[in-house]
Amino acid sequence: MPQPEYDVVIIGAGPAGSTTARFTAAAGLRTLLVDKRQELGAPIQCSGAISRHALEDVGIVPDDEFIHEAIYGFAIYDQTGERHVHDYRSLKPDEYGSGPGRKPLGYVVDRRRFDRYLLTQAERAGADTWLKTEGRGYTPTDDGGCTVHLRRYNQDIDVRARLLVGADGLQSQVGKWAGLQTHIKITELAGCLQFIVDRVETEGLLEIVTGHEWAPGGYAWVFPKGHGYAEIGLGVIATMTDKPARWHLDKFMTQSFFRERFADCRILEVQGGGVPLAAPLRTQYADNLILVGDAARHVNPITGGGLHTAVAGGKIAAGFITGHLEDGMPLRDGALRAYQDVWLDALGDKMWKLYGIKTDIFHNMNIRERDEQLYATMADYFSPTSEFKKI
Amino acid sequence: MSKQQPVLFNIGWNACINCGACVAICPQEAGFVSPFDTIAVDRPCDIACLLCEQICPVDTITHVPAPAPATQNGAGVR
Ligand SMILES: Cc1cc2nc3c(=O)[nH]c(=O)nc-3n(C[C@H](O)[C@H](O)[C@H](O)COP(=O)(O)OP(=O)(O)OC[C@H]3O[C@@H](n4cnc5c(N)ncnc54)[C@H](O)[C@@H]3O)c2cc1C
Ligand code: SF4
Repeated sequence: MPQPEYDVVIIGAGPAGSTTARFTAAAGLRTLLVDKRQELGAPIQCSGAISRHALEDVGIVPDDEFIHEAIYGFAIYDQTGERHVHDYRSLKPDEYGSGPGRKPLGYVVDRRRFDRYLLTQAERAGADTWLKTEGRGYTPTDDGGCTVHLRRYNQDIDVRARLLVGADGLQSQVGKWAGLQTHIKITELAGCLQFIVDRVETEGLLEIVTGHEWAPGGYAWVFPKGHGYAEIGLGVIATMTDKPARWHLDKFMTQSFFRERFADCRILEVQGGGVPLAAPLRTQYADNLILVGDAARHVNPITGGGLHTAVAGGKIAAGFITGHLEDGMPLRDGALRAYQDVWLDALGDKMWKLYGIKTDIFHNMNIRERDEQLYATMADYFSPTSEFKKI
Repeated sequence: MSKQQPVLFNIGWNACINCGACVAICPQEAGFVSPFDTIAVDRPCDIACLLCEQICPVDTITHVPAPAPATQNGAGVR
């Protein structure tokens, strides 16, 4: 049997991979999108908050299929419970709200349904989509292309491709295959735990609680989850505490200024994950390979948000790939560096700037000052006048 | 790199939430993973930095010193 041939093979059908695939397939490139999972997005390792403009910028129509709840603003707390509220329903009542002609600021999405929806869109644009298919490695070949080694339902399959896209998330192995420096420092990876709960009231706002007392090195959050549910979670940096995230979450729920609010809550789901509060990878390309999304650490180092940057990065990657392949440009020896330059220009430079701000805060060893800085930075970050509004 | 003794990781599956944080922090080369998206538990880790144990949100990774590797004739190397 001849080997299947594609222009682009994408490993990982998260938001980054599926968005890349949708755009390359729509541009007429033969696209294969693979994911090792049986159900995309599961087990959930994400809180699912994403702005409306982030969806609209990449042509994703907000759809009930994947939306848990609409969001209208933010509440940022310091460690004592003092708070800054940016509720766009009162800041810009003509634009934001639930009434006719008004829109939400963003959404909390169900990652299981969101990821499946994005895969569907890629498939409808013409991509081949294979689940239960693990990427195992790749080999650049003499003709300038590469062979991608896959394993699907226990069967080894080699596929020919011109270009491979590593969209395999935070646990990324694809970059390692090419020998890229992908290691994250322990001081820059937040260990996170979150509970979906019943009997906790929310008000259409993403609530963010700062303070070393509750989440050393990170922050805690309370998000609306639809159907009257909420999500309570936090992330901590292991070098700033000798306790696991679970211990901190328990303390936050039982001892913080929210203890009354949480007193009656019932836990419906337990989820977790790692969030890189790190800089983007310095090198996001190798022979026949580019990385996108969490695999390239395209994550906002202040908020830990990576959904917007994953879908935006997917569109950028696809635009680059389409032009590069159509022009028959080489795929070796740094020829793909142009991808990284395009990405830096569109998103990356701002992320590096945020990384600088974040690093300055956490280099301050005085906990009280650091708490104040983080609270002020977060409050400012989510304000309508923030220069980083579109990240 | 480190002079640590190789270790064999053990994951308490009852507490593990398959969050993948241990894999994300792991400095091993590609493939040091289990079928459950955690770090590998079926072969020794010679780096033994134990960062995975630190990052685990539910504190469910432990380790024992790795048994001495078998040589070709099956005898342990001391
Ligand atoms: C607790 C937590 C809360 C978060 N909350 C938010 C939030 O509220 N808002 C926000 O914007 N971001 C949030 N994030 C970050 C966000 O989840 C990620 O940035 C986002 O999922 C990155 O998307 P991705 O497509 O790059 O990777 P992923 O979503 O991780 O997708 C990678 C895909 O690749 C597949 N894969 C991996 N290896 C292989 C392989 N070898 N072969 C085949 N398939 C493979 C996986 O199965 C997976 O489907 C949160 C993260 C965590 C941990
Ligand atoms: S970090 Fe802990 S909970 Fe997460 S996958 Fe690894 S062992 Fe399981």
